[in-house]
Amino acid sequence: MALMANTTAKSDKLAHLSACIGRVAEKRDKSAFAELFDHYTPLIRAYSLAREPGADLVADDLVQEVMTRVWLKAAKYNARLANLNTWIFTLARNCRIDYLRRNSRYATEIDPTDIFNEIEDEGPGPFQMVQQSRVQQSIRAGLEQLPKEQSEILTKVYLEGKSHQQTSDELKLPLGTVKSRVRLALKKLEVLVTR
Amino acid sequence: MDKSNNHPDDELLAAYSAGSLPLSQALCISAHLEHCQSCGQKLQQLNHVGSELMQQLKPSKVSDELKNKLLGMLDSLPQDIAQEQPREIDSRVPRCLHQFIDKSYDDLDWKRVSADIHSAELCRDSNGARVELLKIKPGGSATTHTHMGDEYTVILEGSFSDESGLYGQGDFLVRDENDQHTPVATQDRECICLAVTEGPIQFTGFLHRLLNPFIRRGYA
Repeated sequence: MALMANTTAKSDKLAHLSACIGRVAEKRDKSAFAELFDHYTPLIRAYSLAREPGADLVADDLVQEVMTRVWLKAAKYNARLANLNTWIFTLARNCRIDYLRRNSRYATEIDPTDIFNEIEDEGPGPFQMVQQSRVQQSIRAGLEQLPKEQSEILTKVYLEGKSHQQTSDELKLPLGTVKSRVRLALKKLEVLVTR
Repeated sequence: MDKSNNHPDDELLAAYSAGSLPLSQALCISAHLEHCQSCGQKLQQLNHVGSELMQQLKPSKVSDELKNKLLGMLDSLPQDIAQEQPREIDSRVPRCLHQFIDKSYDDLDWKRVSADIHSAELCRDSNGARVELLKIKPGGSATTHTHMGDEYTVILEGSFSDESGLYGQGDFLVRDENDQHTPVATQDRECICLAVTEGPIQFTGFLHRLLNPFIRRGYA
């Protein structure tokens, strides 16, 4: 019962935040934007710190960059393509990639902007819609039940932004083991639909 | 729309979704995604995984100062930052390659590699990987070669076959240093591929062995 109540509370919250992004898009509503700010920026900040612990200035920069995009791109957000949490995640990911590229010791000329299309109306094509909320709920439930050795690897890859090789070095595991744990975890989360 | 039969591994797609892939490899995934609906769907779900993991993070307090600063800036932000200028560019060029190509593949500085192959280097990644387009003439052969590191290939135009099968538009292939292969373009048209090589290609054909020192120089 507690789990179900929790799930309901989460989806109510998400529905409220989705209404906020609508008000930002249509009315340029700053109080709605402030609500989004209060909810998402502590998570964006934590996301930045997961990769660079202690780098508070970098984390604040990421917050500012992502929320600027939220304000400017609110009208492009399409709830049918991704729920708001996922849209914010992709914005934060893209801003972090861009930040790392600009501040890397090893320069590259590759501009990530056109590689990671943000989930927008004019995105890379009308992908057949999956049942968003059901999928997200099963992923959430699945994450809670993953064995630690698998969730640890997903954390390294997604939150700390580590490559498979870096993950393998840090955890002192063979590269093949890292890859197979990622694969096993995704299977458990039922992310891997059969083709 | 779903034309390709060869896809990136799930763990590679997950690394792309996580943003932890070298940009040169991400470029290949992105080019593949333009042709592959099923990987597009998977990607949506993988993005949900990232989103859920992010929700589980322990929130880190943001200062009121930062909040007030940003709220104060909103009205002065340039509104057109999100607007993209439409460009006149050959529709065959995947969006992720627009940054390297002005109007069409013809604009590139194609260099002759062999009688059958031309290549145009696009850039280098920060890990040293070389990003290039390869153009194989109809029926042309890329000669037998092996690699020092992994090679990622996405077929943008035409098709080719090698010892393992026939590949067409959108197909995504990874070959490691142990694979020795001889891609041959099909007879009907030229084949254009996006190729990312992490180390120098070693041509193993008889004549190419002589050429190797010269070819290697390009990768130094």
